[in-house]
Order: sequence, then structure tokens, then C-alpha cells
Amino acid sequence: MEITYLLPSKFKRIGWLLLIPSAILGFMTVAYEWEPVFFDVKVFAIMTDSFPLNFKWIGRLENNILDEILGILLIISCLMVAFSKEPEEDELIASLRLKALVWATYWNYGILLLAFILVYDISFFWVMIFNMYTILIFFIIKFNWSLRQLRKSIAYEE
Amino acid sequence: MKNSIKVQRAKQNITQAQLAEMSMVSRQTINAMELGKYVPSTLLSLRLSNIFGVPVNELFILEEHDWQ
Repeated sequence: MEITYLLPSKFKRIGWLLLIPSAILGFMTVAYEWEPVFFDVKVFAIMTDSFPLNFKWIGRLENNILDEILGILLIISCLMVAFSKEPEEDELIASLRLKALVWATYWNYGILLLAFILVYDISFFWVMIFNMYTILIFFIIKFNWSLRQLRKSIAYEE
Repeated sequence: MKNSIKVQRAKQNITQAQLAEMSMVSRQTINAMELGKYVPSTLLSLRLSNIFGVPVNELFILEEHDWQ
């Protein structure tokens, strides 16, 4: 049997249920610099530094882990939405998936290339933060749009 | 590439949904192939040829621009 590297289709629903709240909370955390003290904990780090000096390989530090939790949830939920099988998954859908992935990669890096030459300093750092998620988000939008078109085309036939 | 899936289906009185089930793909795929919007894999072509009992090159016909 061919290995598709896709998750079972039920993960798509779970993915959406996680993605929407973590995206809203993530955006609010970034926009309002929301750091509830409840999430202040001592964490273990492989690499850490207090900008611009004091680079350390292994260390422990105090950190607000809300952004880490939301970042992890957002990546996992995006992966679930993006790479769960569709109920009618077959070779046509696999070809749509591949096209959407190529499309998303071009757009993602196209925007990053523009940002390289047009955005500087801390603003570029923010572009990098969003860029961690945009490839998956662009893929989800394009792939689901293509699926919608495909399902609509069959509806016309009926 | 042209194909005669729709003709074969009509000859054998098989609906798109039945053919989809028999060839283990979705109805959307059968529809897209009939409309010439999707070129199937070798595996699916062989399945269809087997279902209709006709050789693959009778089911799928190359056109001039397929050589360009």
C-alpha cells in the first residue's frame, strides 16, 4: 500500500476546533502583549541569551510560556487541518493537494523575499514570526478552495 | 488525451457513482476524467480497462498535442 503521510480524516475536525481558538488567542497575545503571571515558569533551555550578549548553551530561565503553548497548538492544529485525509481521498485529491502545496510555498517565500528587501529591524522579526505559520495557512486556504470548486463542479452535474 | 469513459459507461449502463465505487475513487474523479480535466494514474486506467473489458488504449486516446 502506498504511504501518503496523511492523518486519519477525523483529525481535520479536531484540528479546526484547536486552530480557531489558538489563532484568536495567539493573535490577542501578540497584539496586546498579554502575559498572565500564571504562565510565568522556570523553563529548561538548550540555547538562550539576553540580547545582545550572554549567550548560553544549556540553562534555566524564567519565562512566560503562554506564547509557546499557543505557538505549539497553532502548528499542531494547522498540521492536522492541512494533512488529514478527506473523506473521499483519492488520486485526484492528492494532485490538488500537491498543487496547493506548491502554490503555498511560492506565495510564502515570495512574501518573505519581498520582506527581505522591504522590511527591517524589529518589523522583520514580526514578519518571521508570522512566516512560521503562513505556509500552512496559505496551503489550507488554497487546498480547501480547490476542494470547494471540485465539489461544486460535481453538484452542477447532478 | 481523449477518453471514452462516458461512452463505455453508457454502453454498459453504469452510473458515475457505480463506476466510482467499482474503481475505488470518488465520483468527482470520474466526472473530472470524463470532462478531460484529469488524467488518471496507470493504476486507475488499468482498473477502468478491467471494469469495462476494453484495452487501455481504446479507453484513452492520445491526441496530436500530447506529443508536443
